[in-house]
Amino acid sequence: MKKLLAIIMAVVLLAGSMVIFSSCSNNEIIVQTNAFFAPFEYYDGTEIKGVDVDVMALVGEKMNKDVKFVNVEFSAIIDNVAAGKVCDCGAAGITITDERKEKVDFSIPYYTSVQYVIFAASDTTVATRKAADGSEYIVWEALSGKTIGTQTDTTGWIYTDGEINAQESNDYGYDGVLYGTNTTLKNFDNAQLAADGIGSNIVDVVIIDQLPAEYIVAKNSGLKCLPLYYSGETEADDAPVEEQYAICVTKGNDKLLKAINEVLTDLMVKGEDGKSEIDKLLMKHMNLE
Amino acid sequence: MNFFKGVIELFSTQKYMFQLLEGLKMTLVISVFAAIIGLFIGVLVAFALITKGNGFSRILRGICKVYITVIRGTPMALQLFIMYYVIFTFRGFPEAVTAIIAFGINSGAYVAENIRGGILSVDIGQTEAGRALGLNSRVTLMKIVVPQAIKNVIPAIGNELIALVKETSIVSMVGMFDLAMAAKIIGSGNNMASYIVPMSVVALFYLAIVYALTFGIKMIERRLRASDKR
Repeated sequence: MKKLLAIIMAVVLLAGSMVIFSSCSNNEIIVQTNAFFAPFEYYDGTEIKGVDVDVMALVGEKMNKDVKFVNVEFSAIIDNVAAGKVCDCGAAGITITDERKEKVDFSIPYYTSVQYVIFAASDTTVATRKAADGSEYIVWEALSGKTIGTQTDTTGWIYTDGEINAQESNDYGYDGVLYGTNTTLKNFDNAQLAADGIGSNIVDVVIIDQLPAEYIVAKNSGLKCLPLYYSGETEADDAPVEEQYAICVTKGNDKLLKAINEVLTDLMVKGEDGKSEIDKLLMKHMNLE
Repeated sequence: MNFFKGVIELFSTQKYMFQLLEGLKMTLVISVFAAIIGLFIGVLVAFALITKGNGFSRILRGICKVYITVIRGTPMALQLFIMYYVIFTFRGFPEAVTAIIAFGINSGAYVAENIRGGILSVDIGQTEAGRALGLNSRVTLMKIVVPQAIKNVIPAIGNELIALVKETSIVSMVGMFDLAMAAKIIGSGNNMASYIVPMSVVALFYLAIVYALTFGIKMIERRLRASDKR
C-alpha cells in the first residue's frame, strides 16, 4: 500500500512538473479571448481560429514571437490584461469604451459594428421603423417594458444598463431612454444562452453585436434580428448604435501595441477591389469566399 | 421533433463528436487526478482529526478543522476562481493543473469528513477489546478499527466521487475545454445555435461516467461485504 502510494505520488509530481516546465516560455505573446464570437474567434475542433487569431499571428511574425490564445470568460479579459500577469493582450472583438481605456491601452479600431436586437419572429409587439432605403430598424423606445437579455459585460449590456438606470439625479446626468419604463435587464454567460431565453420565454429580446446576432438568427428560423438605433428629433435623424472593435494590451507595453497597430494599418489598406485584408479575413472565416 | 433532428445532427457531425471526446478527456483527467489528490488529503486530514493528544497534534487538528470549515463553507466556483485568478497567476501555467489542485483540495475536505465518520461509526467496544487484548492504540486503530471503517466509508466516498465528476463542469466558467465547454461550443452561434441539444447530450455523457463509477463502487462494496451475513 505504501509503495503504491509512493509510486502514484511520484508519477503525479513528475507528470505535473513536466507539463509545467514544457509550457513555460518567455518568448511568447499570450492573448486572452472568448471563443464564442465567430468570425472573430471560434473553436474549430480544439483549436481557436478567427480574424483576431490571424491578426495576432501576423503580429507574432513581426515580433518574432509565438502567439498563444487562451479562452476565458469575456468579462475577465479586460481585468486580466490590465493586471498583465497571465497575458499580454486581449483580442475578442472588444469595443473601445472610456471605462476600459482607463484600465488598458487600445490599438487602432479595425472594425465597426452595430448593436442588433434579436426577437421572436412571431412577436408583433416590437415596433419597427423603416429607413429611407426601406430597411427596418428598432429604436430604444420600442423596447420599453420588455425583458432584455444581454451577455454580461458586453457593450449591449453596458448600453442597456445605461438606458435603464441612467437618471438626471445620479452620475449619468441625463435620463436614460428606458428609465422608469419597467424594463428589466437579464445577464447571460453568452449571446446564445440569451437567445435560447427567447424560446423559453425568459426574455423578450436580446441585444448583441451584429455578427453574432446574424449567426444566431440564420440557424434559428423562429428568430429575427434588426439593427438598434437611437431615435433623433425626427425619424430621419435616427442613428445606429455603433461601436468600434480594437485589440487591448497591458498599459505600458508600447512595443506590442506598436506592432499591433502596424499590422492593423497594413491590413486596413483597401485593395483594388475596394476590400481590405480585414474584410477578406472576415469573408474567409464566415465561409463566404 | 426538432430535438431529435438536432441529436442526429450532433452525432453524425465529425467535428462535434471530436469536440465532445476532447471535452470528455479533459473532464476525466481533472476528475481522476483530483480524486487521487482528494483521497490522499482526505485520509491524512481524517487521521489528524481523530488522533488525541496535545502539543503538535493539537495544532494540526486546529489547522485541519479550519481547512474543512473554509472549503466546505465556500462555493466551489469561488475556490476555482481564486485558484485561477489569484494564486496560480504564472505565465503559461497549465490550467488543467490549476483545476486539478483546486478540485483535489475541495474533494479532500469532504473525503476527510466521510472517513472520520466511518472510523467513528465503528463500535467503541472493538477498540476496547483490542486494547484489552494488549494491542497498543496504533495497532488497534490500523488492524481492527480501520478495516471495519473502510466498509462503512466506501458508499460515502463513492458519493463524493460522483459529486466531484459532475462538479468539474464548472471549469468551463474559466474557459477550460471540458464536456460542458464542448456543449457550449457546439451550441454557440456558428455551430448549432441552440444549447438544448448539446447540453442534453453532454448530460448523457455525465450519466454514463457516473453509471460506470457507481458500478465500480458497487463491485468494491460487494467484495468487501463478502464476509458479512447481512
